[in-house]
Amino acid sequence: MKFFTESEGITRRQFFIGAGMLTVTAVISGVFAKFGLDVFAASDNYIEQRVAGLYTLDESMALRKSHENPEILQIYKDFLSPGEIQFVSPKAHHLLHTKYGSDIPAFIEELKHPHVEAEHEEAQVEPAA
Amino acid sequence: MSNLNGKVLKHGTQTRTMHWVHLLAFTILGLTGIAFYWDINLISNIFGGPANASVVHRWAGVVFTVGPALYILLNFDRFSKFMSTIATFSKDDFGWLACMGGYLPFIKADHVPPQDKYNAGQKMLGWMIIFGCILIILTGFPMWLWRHEVPAVFLNLCYNIHFWTAIIMILLVGGHFFLAAIHPKSRVEFSSMMLDGYIDADISAHHNAKWFAELKETP
Repeated sequence: MKFFTESEGITRRQFFIGAGMLTVTAVISGVFAKFGLDVFAASDNYIEQRVAGLYTLDESMALRKSHENPEILQIYKDFLSPGEIQFVSPKAHHLLHTKYGSDIPAFIEELKHPHVEAEHEEAQVEPAA
Repeated sequence: MSNLNGKVLKHGTQTRTMHWVHLLAFTILGLTGIAFYWDINLISNIFGGPANASVVHRWAGVVFTVGPALYILLNFDRFSKFMSTIATFSKDDFGWLACMGGYLPFIKADHVPPQDKYNAGQKMLGWMIIFGCILIILTGFPMWLWRHEVPAVFLNLCYNIHFWTAIIMILLVGGHFFLAAIHPKSRVEFSSMMLDGYIDADISAHHNAKWFAELKETP
């Protein structure tokens, strides 16, 4: 039985094709990396400009802080903490605190029936008194 | 077919080892990828649940990358010969493609032109696998290592390229498996890649006549 094997070594043409393929792979990787870095830089640039725009807008506003807004202060004086300005008062907390998921239907029901809200408020105030 | 009493060493030990490593890594990558893309717990549980499947996928990706890279570094001559073969498309290759090598029952093939070490279909598969691997590797690592740094639009592009390339590759490898292991005309080559590397000389003389003619001249 005879055994056939390929000759050892490679020709110049084979070497250049092999090296060429590695070069093509390196170029594709480089182009892809460059594209990724460009997108990253563009995204970073956009974020920086957006941040600068928001700060500029904010600086140009007459009222920059919600707790200094006269309308908000008046709402506290008249309704959320009658006669005084008490941030995060029980009523403010109860009405302004965000509800999620299964808490929402009960909250809607509560708002539909103001007396329930009053009872709830009393229940919250009592321990403090 | 002639009655040559001999054996041809078609694939060396390192080539077969690299093929096995890549095959195993690709199978694990394909299974885990399918598992967590379509949320199939039946598959991901084989790897210890979805979280573990994700970790296995990443490290199989490292093997998938390092395996061929090491092979190329340690066997640059074999790699160059392979690239040279699949980069050569002659009239015989186009003739093979015209009749699809006689593998398709509805295309009549009176005469199949003589082929190199790899036939025209294998050459095309080789190119598709190479560029598929490059795309999958290039998009896979940013998805793993830089997912918190790169912009969402780039990450989304990576996910899409990774997914669609993987789907095409899985289909290609499925076809490759069918022809290499199941099809009665070509499965005779199965053991040359998966076992000892040898193939009967008369099979080689028939399927790869141009290459075998070169081998006969080799002292």
